[in-house]
Amino acid sequence: MTLSISAVSHTYRGAREAALDSVSLNIPAGGVFGLLGPNGAGKTTLISLICGLLESDQGLITLDDEPLALVRAADPARVALVPQDYAFYPMLSVVENLRFFGGALGLSGALLRQRCDAAIAFARLEQVTGKLAETLSGGLRRRLNLAIGLLGEPRLLLLDEPTVGVDPQSRHFLLDAIAGLPASGTTVIYTSHYMEEVEAICQRLAILDQGKVLAAGTLGELLDSDEQTLELRLDRPLPESLLSKYHAVPSGALDFGLFLPSTAALPELLAELAAAGCEICYLSLGRQNLEQVFMRLTRRSLRD
Amino acid sequence: MSSLLPRLHALWTKETLALLRDRHGLAALFVMPVIFILVMTMALHDAFMPGASIDVAYAVVDLDNSPQSQALVRRLDKSGSFRRIAVGQDLDAARQGIRENQYALVLGLPAKFGERLLAPAGADGQPTEPLTLLVDPTLNPALQLAFRNQTAAALGTIRADELTRRAGKLFGLPVSPAAERDWPDEIVSIAVQNQRSIRPPSSVQQNVPAWLVFAMFFVVIPIASIFIIERQEGTLQRLRAIGLPFGHILAGKLLPFFVVNQLQAVLMVLVGMFIVPMLGGEALHMPAGRSLIHWWLVAASVSLAAVAFALLVASLTRTSQQAVVVGGVGNILMGAVGGIMVPKFMMPAAMQRLAEWSPMAWGLDGFHTVMLRQGGFDAILPDLLKLLTFAALSLTAAVWLNRSSQP
Repeated sequence: MTLSISAVSHTYRGAREAALDSVSLNIPAGGVFGLLGPNGAGKTTLISLICGLLESDQGLITLDDEPLALVRAADPARVALVPQDYAFYPMLSVVENLRFFGGALGLSGALLRQRCDAAIAFARLEQVTGKLAETLSGGLRRRLNLAIGLLGEPRLLLLDEPTVGVDPQSRHFLLDAIAGLPASGTTVIYTSHYMEEVEAICQRLAILDQGKVLAAGTLGELLDSDEQTLELRLDRPLPESLLSKYHAVPSGALDFGLFLPSTAALPELLAELAAAGCEICYLSLGRQNLEQVFMRLTRRSLRD
Repeated sequence: MSSLLPRLHALWTKETLALLRDRHGLAALFVMPVIFILVMTMALHDAFMPGASIDVAYAVVDLDNSPQSQALVRRLDKSGSFRRIAVGQDLDAARQGIRENQYALVLGLPAKFGERLLAPAGADGQPTEPLTLLVDPTLNPALQLAFRNQTAAALGTIRADELTRRAGKLFGLPVSPAAERDWPDEIVSIAVQNQRSIRPPSSVQQNVPAWLVFAMFFVVIPIASIFIIERQEGTLQRLRAIGLPFGHILAGKLLPFFVVNQLQAVLMVLVGMFIVPMLGGEALHMPAGRSLIHWWLVAASVSLAAVAFALLVASLTRTSQQAVVVGGVGNILMGAVGGIMVPKFMMPAAMQRLAEWSPMAWGLDGFHTVMLRQGGFDAILPDLLKLLTFAALSLTAAVWLNRSSQP
């Protein structure tokens, strides 16, 4: 199963700029595919186009060379969305919510019960099946949100920021659970603006910004670059002359990301900082991460 | 996988569970109208009965004490609408009686009342002292006027008696001096209906259908609150993403709340039939046979209009608070204009014309046509068509609003 997105564009009604501008991606079967980008990059728009909530103005999305809209029409359960919101009923219990969404998928009888039990077991919700959803903690709500998405045993699961607002323990559990989904034959598209999460569970990813794909490939391909990104924390602001010379990107009050053409340029930078009276509190060079890749591609911080 | 029945079953179960856990919604649907029916039926018990005794007491201060003044008092007693509790001779004492709430009206008959009964004021060069009416200022002006008219009518009768007696004397006819004739001045109210005549609508017959219609439209509160949660929480999007047509979602709401409306109808009718009589009111009389089916057709049409209107309000508003304000105020306006709170026949002509634009008035007219005028299907058809057209337009607007709000 390969999901192919070819030159897809979408502009929201009344908006001046396109939310997605000629986006092309190939997402192979199996694995977790990450969509990384800051808020407003176009991740949710792309997810909405894939699950049919929006229609693209241009371009085509196919699944195994068949238009995705036809695939969804033939079997709506094949593609499932776990939205960013807690998209369930707060006044219903966990099991009532699961039964409702299972019924809405057309499931009934023994099959409905079996799917609900499997979803409860997967999300480890056994202790809270009778609790009203509105009384659950943030982490349990996220688990219920995920469990509902699995009721139809989808081949393609779209997860839109599934760990927003959860405690570290629940986040860890959710990431482990999601990472295990491809083993049961489900391809996962995972959107997040948390680079650590994407680095941890995605084998392939694309970086989106302002409606465009900046880079796509395996994690190794994206992290591999000659240009060195230097992380720096100083005791005072970086002088203007150095800011422009090294295309520095502020990532905190006194934190900066600087771009060095090579490691050999480091001694010169240190000398310039000393001449400017700047004392170095923290320095990191050589360990590339997605934050730095994003900075390198956009000259902006991912969290801007 | 995509069979219709499991989907509808899931939607109906969800709506039912959500409603059962919405205490405010249940109170608005079932408790509020029952209270309204009981309170308004008892409060307006006599307002709907022409000729019923009015519980307003009056006193007569007879300063003349002549056969004519006594005849006037007897004549007033005969009408029986107002309650005479005392006859005194002192106007100041009577004034004090009003202040102490013993009675609300005092009719003062002046000295020489009998003597000057047939003498127009100033006709013989002497003044004729008028009758006086002391009034409790808090008394309903309509009742004050009614008492004045009743007294004027009795006075006219006494004058006619006196004139007949004197004319008889003049022409030498044998006339009993104290003769009080039964003039044919009684007016009996008869409601016009098909085939047979029954009494005009009672308080319970006005109030049960009126507050039933009002309560049915209050499904706007639970429907809107659930619908807005579905939209705000992204549940509608999720349902769309799994291929659930919007028509199914609407059908999932129509049936449970249609059933809720029918339960409301049964409850309100039972209250009218059994609880109101226990509190001293008149029992509600329900039509039987084919008329009962016509009654149900009206109830069903009101229900469809109410649920469709609720879906329109839910689609128009963004938050639950907005829905409560728009839906609640909209209902109260429709009720006030449509003859729920103030019966249409009590309204001035211009307001009655305005009432014809309220869907609640169409429902109430339909119920009254069946219950009071014994109207058949042809008679209720115009109201049914208005309600169903309103339902179809509201539903279409709701679907259009939901489609156009999608990005």
